[in-house]
Amino acid sequence: MRTTPANFPSMLTRMLLRAMALIIVAVTLCPDDAAALPTFARQTGQNCQACHAGGQFPELTPYGRLFKLTGYTIGERTLPFAGMAVVSDSSVSNRSKSDDPKEDFQKNNSLIFATGSVFAAGKITDNLGAFLQVTYDNYASQSADGQFHGHTNADNMDIRYADRSIDNSHDWIWGVSANSNPSVSDVWNTAAAWMQYVPVPSPTSSSFIDGSAPYPGFAAGSNIAGVTAYAFWNQTLYLEAGGYRSASGVASFMSAGIADADKTKLQGTNPYWRAALSHEWGPNSIMVGTSGMVADIYDDPLDTSDPTTIHHFRNIGVDSQYQYLLDPHTVTVQFAYTRDNQRIPAFLANQPVQDANGNPLPNTNSTDTTNVFRAKASYIYEAKYGTSLGFFNQTGTTDSALYDPTRVYGNISGNPAVRGWTSEVFWTPVQNVRIGLQFTAYDKYNGASHNYDGSGRNASDNNSLFFYVWGAY
Amino acid sequence: MYKVRVTMLALMASLATGCANEPRSRDTANPNVSGETLALQVCSNCHGATGNSTSPQFPNLAAQQEAYIVAQLGAFKAHSRQDPPGPEYMWGLSRSLTEKQIQELASHFAAQKPERQLVEGRPERIEAGKAIFTGGIPDKGIPPCASCHGPEGKGNATFPRLAGQHVDYLVKQLAGFQRTNDRPSATLMKTVAHDLSHENIVNVADYLQAMPNHQER
Ligand code: HEC
Ligand code: HEC
Repeated sequence: MRTTPANFPSMLTRMLLRAMALIIVAVTLCPDDAAALPTFARQTGQNCQACHAGGQFPELTPYGRLFKLTGYTIGERTLPFAGMAVVSDSSVSNRSKSDDPKEDFQKNNSLIFATGSVFAAGKITDNLGAFLQVTYDNYASQSADGQFHGHTNADNMDIRYADRSIDNSHDWIWGVSANSNPSVSDVWNTAAAWMQYVPVPSPTSSSFIDGSAPYPGFAAGSNIAGVTAYAFWNQTLYLEAGGYRSASGVASFMSAGIADADKTKLQGTNPYWRAALSHEWGPNSIMVGTSGMVADIYDDPLDTSDPTTIHHFRNIGVDSQYQYLLDPHTVTVQFAYTRDNQRIPAFLANQPVQDANGNPLPNTNSTDTTNVFRAKASYIYEAKYGTSLGFFNQTGTTDSALYDPTRVYGNISGNPAVRGWTSEVFWTPVQNVRIGLQFTAYDKYNGASHNYDGSGRNASDNNSLFFYVWGAY
Repeated sequence: MYKVRVTMLALMASLATGCANEPRSRDTANPNVSGETLALQVCSNCHGATGNSTSPQFPNLAAQQEAYIVAQLGAFKAHSRQDPPGPEYMWGLSRSLTEKQIQELASHFAAQKPERQLVEGRPERIEAGKAIFTGGIPDKGIPPCASCHGPEGKGNATFPRLAGQHVDYLVKQLAGFQRTNDRPSATLMKTVAHDLSHENIVNVADYLQAMPNHQER
């Protein structure tokens, strides 16, 4: 890995000055009594850290997990709205190896209002509760004249009906969730929908590299519509199963605001499952689990007439999480691994490809496998000062379909490998404001450590620094 | 699509009827939900269904004195007990509880059987703690804890049960009595704790958590 480039220190100073200004604004604007999802905190009257480990959202404590599994119904009904906003600034290590740095590294080193979300969330009846997130991305698209355009669309949605039978000798929680994203219904932070650095830089909203570190996930992605049924027995065994379809008809609100061309279009009902074993002793809790999904996705979301254009995916994951929670310490260790097998539709498989010089490459594959591994450890003191270190490693089959000689973005090896580390320090001055600095170092990018784009760009040239201020009310 | 539609309809229907499910409600503001139900559906999440909590973050309530529980819930509700976990965890949950619910919650937990706790302290610490509990520290004018909390640490009325309580919770309370006025009802304890050293506090807490309590009802 390269040493830190010379422009980083000056950039750090600038970021710190901006941070100070922002903190003052944030602290004066936001009173102390709100929480990670402030509407839930108002409903139970509790602090965020009752439900979020050390106050680091979205990671749930054992109590937060039970709150969610019992359908967000603990407490009293209150006005169920909350808002959240992220202001950020990011910087890529090396901008010289590019033909058009202005174009390739848009918004690099400038403070932007990245995203905002509105939530409608909370208890509806004794058995029914909801978590509905609508997100605004200030830099969602860019028109031909280079202007960015903001866009609002449906984000994570989870409406659930839950019941619980409990006495001194047994405890059964069960329920049904209608949701927009496989595993968004899950309560452990290593589930695909939740295991992320929050806020994560969004690739469209700042420089290109941010947010391109891989996460385990399901090929079907979000903004689809599913129903899952789950049960949690004696706070030990968790089982969930269900199916997902394209979000249409009554469920179309789950993909509201997403252009038809950007929606995932699924064929039929696609199964999702989850099993987890959980155990608590003293201040410790551990979970070991597995999840999976089989999905048939149309190649072109605008044309779902031809079943021979379907990509068939099989995703299987294993994940584990350990937490130690005892004031003033919060420790979390997480692992997640998913394997993705894809059968490529016949019209895209076995196609001839030529490299930039016109030499033939092997024909494209008819099947691909990708593996993503992630590990993360974090420590938070007094729910205020936090630090974490994460490792990611994506490996997979080399496929000429990935060959792309574009400078900066390209991939000349045809291999999807990405590997690196993310470290973070953050500070939570009041429970609904968090200020953080993340550094991501790549030692493999688009298949190679050196010259991955064929024009001399190395993985470490993409190392990036990301600064954010997150607030919720 | 059919399945999704049916579920959505079911959800809408139950939303429309607003059906309260009192025997299994987690609504802390509905006076018709019994204390017993709240104890199992809500309090159990942290304190355990039988008042034996897994995490030391949450005090054990099993066999705690009924009058003491009533008094503490009142203190959380009135915001007079303000050691940090109080506002963070208990103020909100207790804000709408009725007197009747508080009474029922107290009798539920008072009637539970305490589980035997792990013995975590070293034997010499536990011995030293026992000496403080049964004999006080005469040099410093500290009375025996047993004189108020009972020879077996079971408490009496508003003198709380201490036997089998988590070390971490006990240490935090004693340090709090010493340094703060976060628990204004604890005037007696403020005097008692004033001259305890940190060492004394850990010793007595180790002894209390280890106090044999498995034979009791
Ligand atoms: C989210 C976790 C949580 C839930 C749910 C919860 N408690 Fe607590 N409880 C705590 C914590 C933490 C403390 C310690 C508070 C402090 O130190 O001020 C506590 C303290 C108490 C105490 C004081 C114990 C003592 O020894 O002084 C009582 C009594 C109590 N809770 C009763 C209840 C009842 C009744 C319910 C259900 C209505 C309940 N709790 C629900 C976390 C919880
Ligand atoms: C003069 C009577 C008296 C003596 C002696 C006494 N206590 Fe207490 N203690 C109390 C009372 C009363 C309370 C309840 C305080 C309140 O209502 O807020 C209490 C509360 C406590 C608590 C908090 C329990 C809880 O669940 O939150 C601890 C811990 C405690 N005492 C430990 C001790 C120890 C250790 C000693 C001996 C060194 C001791 N006490 C001696 C009267 C006494």
